[in-house]
Amino acid sequence: MSAARNMLCDTARAVFAEAAMVGIAPVGEAGFGLLLVPEAEGGFGGDWGDVNAVLQIAGVVVPDLPVAELIAGETLQPAATVSLMAGAMGQALALSIDHVNTRQQFGRPLGKFQAVQQSLAVMACEVRAVEAAAAALAARLDAVGLDAAAADFEIAAAKLRANRAVGVVTAIAHQVHGAIGFTEEYDLHRVTVPLMRWRGAHGNDAFWAARLGRQVAALGGRGLWETMTARGA
Amino acid sequence: MQGFALYPFDPPGDIAALRADLRSWLAANQPQDDVVFRANCWASFDPDFSRALGAAGYVGMTLPARYGGGDRHPLERYVVIEELLAAGAPVGAHWIADRQTGPLILRYGSEEQRQRYLPGIARGELYACIGLSEPGAGSDLAAVRTTARETAEGWRINGQKIWTTGAHFSHIMLTLVRTEEGSERNAGLSQLLIDLDTPGITIRPIIDMAGHHDFNEVFFDDVLVPLGALVGERGQGWKQVTAELGLERSGPERYLSSHALLVALIDAAGPHPDPALATLIGELTAEMWTLRQLSMSTAAKLAAGEDPMVEASVVKELGNAFEQDMPRRVQAIVTSGWDDENDLAKLLRALLIASPSFSLRGGTREVIRGIIARGLGLR
Repeated sequence: MSAARNMLCDTARAVFAEAAMVGIAPVGEAGFGLLLVPEAEGGFGGDWGDVNAVLQIAGVVVPDLPVAELIAGETLQPAATVSLMAGAMGQALALSIDHVNTRQQFGRPLGKFQAVQQSLAVMACEVRAVEAAAAALAARLDAVGLDAAAADFEIAAAKLRANRAVGVVTAIAHQVHGAIGFTEEYDLHRVTVPLMRWRGAHGNDAFWAARLGRQVAALGGRGLWETMTARGA
Repeated sequence: MQGFALYPFDPPGDIAALRADLRSWLAANQPQDDVVFRANCWASFDPDFSRALGAAGYVGMTLPARYGGGDRHPLERYVVIEELLAAGAPVGAHWIADRQTGPLILRYGSEEQRQRYLPGIARGELYACIGLSEPGAGSDLAAVRTTARETAEGWRINGQKIWTTGAHFSHIMLTLVRTEEGSERNAGLSQLLIDLDTPGITIRPIIDMAGHHDFNEVFFDDVLVPLGALVGERGQGWKQVTAELGLERSGPERYLSSHALLVALIDAAGPHPDPALATLIGELTAEMWTLRQLSMSTAAKLAAGEDPMVEASVVKELGNAFEQDMPRRVQAIVTSGWDDENDLAKLLRALLIASPSFSLRGGTREVIRGIIARGLGLR
């Protein structure tokens, strides 16, 4: 990650931490609403790679605040939601790893049990897939100047893939946490409940699958490969 | 394990032209095989095609020109490989030599080995297999017992390999053997490059449940090979083998083996599929697109000299799951008899039968998940 983006992420963490206490105002005051506005127009001139990085942090720290709406317009909300989901899933994984390495049962950490290891490996694969989808979508959006229509294939594929990961990720995160993860006090629900909500927001599985499926059917079998390779690398 | 950052896939040169050239070459040179031969095509053996592909410069692409290679960037090779797989080209004869053995000889081999083997590999004429598994050493590879003893005449090898893909048509086997007497587990292992026409080697077929002859048992009975057959460092076989497996796990073959089925499904569905079919096509496409991003990113990381062992395992795990899921989901939705002879039905039958092997070859699902768990800091 570039130094500029690292700085942006550090700022986002600090601002979101404050916003978690007092609401969305600090996010607006810090100028995140201007992230995508060109520098010539008084904005930050950020790209979707920046938005992706910032929203992943928002998905961890302030999943209940409308940060995505503040940064991006309506047509980009499905893409923004993918970034939030990637962040929240990363956090669910981090909490799960931390918990199984700490919590002891039968005289050893839960993470030493093969059944738990295999579950978390499955979960990690889903999380990595969604992170990759969010990053690839960002690359596409930046290549087409944030034109959502020109990134329709990638938005559909990434949101659908993220939606489809929600069940596995939330289920395994809660399963390995046991009862503590089901309490109001513990942090896990702060990311798993938003994940459940985001799955249905800005297009659920059926919506994007039907849309992408019709688009691909129109391309034909060989056309799918030709289109996919023409759109990236 | 750090959060995943997409590693930029940025090959040098004109990639669009590379794709276009290869596509027109394939249009003129790809045999009109039965559609089943186009699925799982990295197991489809066609030495004439391999030779033609080599002559056209699409084999051994990353090897140096002085060994007959193409001096191309690894990501240019990646583009060629994904095009060949997406087209269902029969690349099985040279597959292992091109993907693994050639690069390994270049990295660890002696100058003599490089001159002797690499030009044939780059021509698409010299084929290789990998001798790892033994009857008592499957997932537990460190239990290898085949021995090679150093003598005045050379290495004397005794033991047995099993599940050796392509041994029956290969010229050489890169073999993991125990060179240090009394050594245990992953210490004391070395890699030997063995010419398979050496006296004392017996190769017996194992027919798989699809009726195919891909793998073999290979017996070594007092086989004598020159001391120069050692590849790399004596006693470092374990390290060399595990590095090699990274190459094996993350390639586009992990999600494109069943691409012919997706193509046939889309073509059978037509331009206006019913909602259930459109949904299935959409879901399979989203998974495939995501896997392509993961695989390209991992390839870029490998090309940059890093060791993305965990990412490679994620590609394999997700790719295997995708490819095992696809024929089952297609079968659940299309109206097709088991014995029908249309393309879709034939592919479905072939891939349903072949797919149990996907999460066995190249490391079982359980082993792969164990590697990922280690990357997560759990082991």
